[in-house]
Amino acid sequence: MPMQGPFYDGLAALQARRWFLQDSALSLGAFALPDLLGSDPTKRGRQIPPRAKNVIYLHMEGAPPTLDMFDRKPMLDRLSGQKCPEEFLDKERFAFIKGHPLLLGHPHGWIRAANGIEMCELFPHLAQQMGETTLVRSMFTDQFNHAPAELLMFTGAPRPGRPSMGGWVSYGLGSENGNLPAFVVMLSGGNLPSAGKALWGAGFLPSVHQGCEFRSQGDPVLYLQDPAGYDRARRERSLRALTDLNRAQEARTGDPETTARIAQYELAFRMQMSVPEAVDLASEPAEVHALYGTTPGETSLANNCLLARRLIERGVRFVQLFDSGWDIHGTNPSDDLMTQFPKKAQQLDRALAGLLIDLKRRGLLEETLVVWGGEFGRTPMNEERDGSKFLGRDHHPHCYSMLLAGGGMKRGAVIGATDELGYRVADNAIHVHDLQATLLHLLGVDHEQLTWRFQGRDFRLTDVAGKVRPELFA
Amino acid sequence: MRRTPYLLSVLSPALVAIVAVACPAQSPHWAYQPVQVRAVPATANPAWVRSPLDAWVLAAMEQNGLSPAPRTNRAAWLRRVTLDLTGVPPTPAEVAAFVADTDVDAEARAVDALLASPRCAERWTQWWLDLARYADSQGYEKDALRRTMWRYREWVIDAFLRDLPFDEFTIDQLAGDLLPGATDEQRLATAFHRQTMTNTEGGTDDEEFRCAAVIDRVSTTMGVWMGTTMGCAQCHDHKYDPFSQKEFFELFAIFDQTEDNDQPNDAPVLRVPSARQRATQKVLELELTALRSKWQADDVAVDRWAATARAGLVAFREARATSSVWHVLGPIAASDFHTAHATAFAPETDGVKLGADQQGLRWRDEPGYRDGKVHTWSGDNSAFYLHRTIHAEVAATAVLSLGSDDAIKVWWNGAEVLAKEVGRGAAADQELLSVALRPGDNELLLKITNGGGIGGFYFDLRASEFGREVAQALAMAPEACDDHARSLLRREYLARAPEFAELRTRIADAEKEFLANQGDPVPVLKELPPDKARTTRLHLRGSFLTPGMVVQPGTPACWPPMPADAPRNRLGFARWLVSRDNPLTARVQCNRVWAELFGAGLVTTSEDFGTQGEKPTHPELLDWLAADFMAHGWSFRHLLRTIVLSATYAQDSAASSAQREVDPQNRWLARGASFRLPAEMLRDQALAVSGLLHEQLGGPSVMPPQPDGVWMQLYSGEQWQNANGPDRYRRALYTFWRRTSPHPAMLVFDAQSREACVLKRQRTNTPLQALVVWNDPEFHEAALALAERVQSARDAGRDDVSSVRWLWQQCLLREPTVPERERVLELLREERRHFAADPAAVAAMVAGGREGAAELAAWAVVCGVVLNLDEFLTKR
Repeated sequence: MPMQGPFYDGLAALQARRWFLQDSALSLGAFALPDLLGSDPTKRGRQIPPRAKNVIYLHMEGAPPTLDMFDRKPMLDRLSGQKCPEEFLDKERFAFIKGHPLLLGHPHGWIRAANGIEMCELFPHLAQQMGETTLVRSMFTDQFNHAPAELLMFTGAPRPGRPSMGGWVSYGLGSENGNLPAFVVMLSGGNLPSAGKALWGAGFLPSVHQGCEFRSQGDPVLYLQDPAGYDRARRERSLRALTDLNRAQEARTGDPETTARIAQYELAFRMQMSVPEAVDLASEPAEVHALYGTTPGETSLANNCLLARRLIERGVRFVQLFDSGWDIHGTNPSDDLMTQFPKKAQQLDRALAGLLIDLKRRGLLEETLVVWGGEFGRTPMNEERDGSKFLGRDHHPHCYSMLLAGGGMKRGAVIGATDELGYRVADNAIHVHDLQATLLHLLGVDHEQLTWRFQGRDFRLTDVAGKVRPELFA
Repeated sequence: MRRTPYLLSVLSPALVAIVAVACPAQSPHWAYQPVQVRAVPATANPAWVRSPLDAWVLAAMEQNGLSPAPRTNRAAWLRRVTLDLTGVPPTPAEVAAFVADTDVDAEARAVDALLASPRCAERWTQWWLDLARYADSQGYEKDALRRTMWRYREWVIDAFLRDLPFDEFTIDQLAGDLLPGATDEQRLATAFHRQTMTNTEGGTDDEEFRCAAVIDRVSTTMGVWMGTTMGCAQCHDHKYDPFSQKEFFELFAIFDQTEDNDQPNDAPVLRVPSARQRATQKVLELELTALRSKWQADDVAVDRWAATARAGLVAFREARATSSVWHVLGPIAASDFHTAHATAFAPETDGVKLGADQQGLRWRDEPGYRDGKVHTWSGDNSAFYLHRTIHAEVAATAVLSLGSDDAIKVWWNGAEVLAKEVGRGAAADQELLSVALRPGDNELLLKITNGGGIGGFYFDLRASEFGREVAQALAMAPEACDDHARSLLRREYLARAPEFAELRTRIADAEKEFLANQGDPVPVLKELPPDKARTTRLHLRGSFLTPGMVVQPGTPACWPPMPADAPRNRLGFARWLVSRDNPLTARVQCNRVWAELFGAGLVTTSEDFGTQGEKPTHPELLDWLAADFMAHGWSFRHLLRTIVLSATYAQDSAASSAQREVDPQNRWLARGASFRLPAEMLRDQALAVSGLLHEQLGGPSVMPPQPDGVWMQLYSGEQWQNANGPDRYRRALYTFWRRTSPHPAMLVFDAQSREACVLKRQRTNTPLQALVVWNDPEFHEAALALAERVQSARDAGRDDVSSVRWLWQQCLLREPTVPERERVLELLREERRHFAADPAAVAAMVAGGREGAAELAAWAVVCGVVLNLDEFLTKR
């Protein structure tokens, strides 16, 4: 049952009354009323037995070079420095590559991972956890610029305006904790994703389904902190007076919106406690900090991974992490394969490995789907923008790898393959929309049924496409 | 014999089949029938009826076994109508005066005054901006700012101020530029359709995003005027409504002929001085005439100056300056642009060491870097050092012409002579530095710092800053100078002589100010000349990359056609939209205004009048409103006046749960409307009752406080600068609107980012909203300001009870009930007690710790509660 606690018990009584529902179907905060909206043009909620309850989605903003991480290409290493095949350039549009580019092999070493694959030596911790994951080597997308590709990944369409994946999940399944939002977003790496906040917007869904940004500096949630001069007791006294006065108004007008508003103020009051508690990393033992590589007070991917575990533990449905700095073009040391990539690898390696270990030992991995990836792949050719001597790769929509774990995924599996040079998918191509359909399926939702009527049309996350790919899960 | 319905008679045979499925032949879709005025129905309670509007509403109530709610009390009515018409509540004094005015036409006079107020224009401009998808930025990834778009908002405010008839309002915005003798203001109005997004991301195809903008123009126009969703027909024939993909592209063709094509500078633009700017320019013109008359020189002074300049040129020639090859060190990357520019790397701290490693890099020779050309490289947030020696045989003066992409620092013979942190592409003469050449080697060190993308520099060594012509004139012997040469020298002298420096500055300032008042460049629509007209083709599967058949401009066949002689362009189309025969435009507008006042339209799907939309609850009323609107010259004020003076509008909004059971959504209008105020009104109301509101009609967008870090952005150095002073307290209408990051408090209250037209806002009720009104510093500031007003009222001799009454009147425009009063006084006593024991809390809340601070703090808590009351946040 998604609804718990005295607040929801009170609401359950109200929900029996039809007027309340119709007036306030959009007013009940961050949880769903799946079976109570029979007359609504929308259909939602679970239709399939769920394998996962929660999602932690780690997005590496800028698109990580997955060829250099999970998809070793001996042929590419051998031909490194030679001109790429002519056919690569036929009708191809690159973001930056000009002329006839040269192939570029992996500039670092390889180690053997727990699932038997060869993995980049820069990820020693993650390599040990690969047995928990399903590695998909055959993802592809249709967008080759960051913002549209990210929008496609997270909203199903390459232009702004649609609800995000987390928003759809919030709308379909709600939260399991009445004191926290269903959909939380956290950022690291120093930059906002290219497509900005549209990646966690509600689009045309009610605004309650927009991702709630938890910030690492200032208030963890905007406007969470009382103004100066208020302590908890003062806030509580003013809340009590407010509630009493609103009750009088409720009695006068009989307006269910007033009833809902009273409840929302009480929930807000509790959030002021529950959010700071949830994000208090200092309360974690030293051993956990060592596991993730976290330092309380910092803005880092590691901190966000640990926060994600704490939020999932507390019933947040969908935690979305964005980590910027992965746009490895090779125009200078701050975006190249030799300096920047190892830096990002170090930030990711222990954090993601730690997250998987921690979720598993707490029994959370079975019910939590962990997704890791970028918005597209990177070319097997060296970009060499304006003759740059730094090694890097251009945007590449035709193939890339993603990593999935927990929540009903296979353990240690490798799905799909790219060709010998890592230029196109060779086997079992999986489009972004297929991944979205599959994620929703694992959460128990039929992606074709989770819809919202807007401007005369039923919209869904997967637009007009998407196929559930059963080969991905156990 | 049964006639073919009108609608089907005008459809192409292929479409008849589609329409037949969508709407059976006997009942063509209601919204595509002409607007019809029917006889006003008789009702059982004629005394209640004030206008035909009420008759239709009452008849429907009676059919559903309902009867009207009592009239709301007059103070509540005035609050309702004032919020609805102006977006700001009335003052207690206005309420008292109105309640005391018992004339029969008191309400009508009150409404007329409200309708004529500038506040009314602001409030309805606010409403229109969602439809216009107004924003102060371009959207998409970079979301660069459009700092001049407020001029369009100004146009809308002005249109509402003069009650511009809706048909003209339409034509000006869609096709003002095509009107014969179009005024600047009419051209400015076309910025409506320049609110489309512009994509300046690298590697994007301008044509793709130009097409996206045109598609948006079609969708927005059809949504706003025709209540019709055509987006689906972009890719395929509409599934439910009778539109083919070809018809979508016939509409596309109408909008396909404008010059704009996704350029970063949003060209084409129009500069129109505002009235204020025109007045300023007049004053400046006079001033400039006076100043220029003083800027004269006699021949002796010119000759003296020319002799000195000549000597300098001779010295430079004799110096025979020669430059070494460039030595380059870099890129040296830093975490960000500023750091790369500001950090002193090894060549600055240790001097240039050509043979050695510096900063982990080695100096390399760049013989290819020839003078007088731009040379480029790449490396984001990276510094490059360039070094060379310049040898001179004798001392002389020289000028360095420099260009840089982006920031630049220059050291000449070891001394820093220039540092400039700019973002730009490199070009000649961006910097002109006069330097002293000493005999022997001179050391030149440049530091060029690139922000992103391409970086580079330009260098040339010149004898002087003079242009070629002046240099030639100086090369002539003084007596050989002809009139042309003399006048050149005179001009150069006037431009350079130190004795005119102050005058030159004053003239330059006045000229600059004159230009600054020229009007900001506002993106507008501009039709391509006929010889450059585009051929519009259908986009197969909606993709611009797969053009299909050629299509001609036109309107869908399911609606009355454009007149045969009307031009097939935006102007003909705009006129068609507002012709009396158009079945939708007036209905859609009346319904939308109704929804704004009642919380839901007579057609609840105010965004969709197609077959998938809801049918109207009161079809005859909707038609009556539409016909009345058109008959009264499409007057917006008339429409608003008609609705708010009705008995329907004046009903009390309270209802028992039994009444709510019968009609939960108030579809039958047997009670008054009540709903939470929209984001903008919530802010405006709090500022108004606390006395903070700074009312200034129009002007550029402002940045009231928002939390730090909200505007974190990848490419742009643009910062949200919290306004201080009056701009902090302007109406929400003027808040800067950046698409990727609108003001967060507005988003929490259901504002959308306006990437596309917002036909209808959701209305939600969430805990995050409670946090905003509780904790947003602006609302807290309002609570404190309100407490100050309670205090100053107390100084006039009020006690606690009368202070609570004052507060209730100020915010809720009524007397508190006894239990309310007692509950508030209880809170006040508690807070006094706790603040008395906690001076630190007092100091935290009331800065400065002045006398009476504890009392002020206690009242601020009370005022905070009142600003959060459901009654305050809700229109009833």
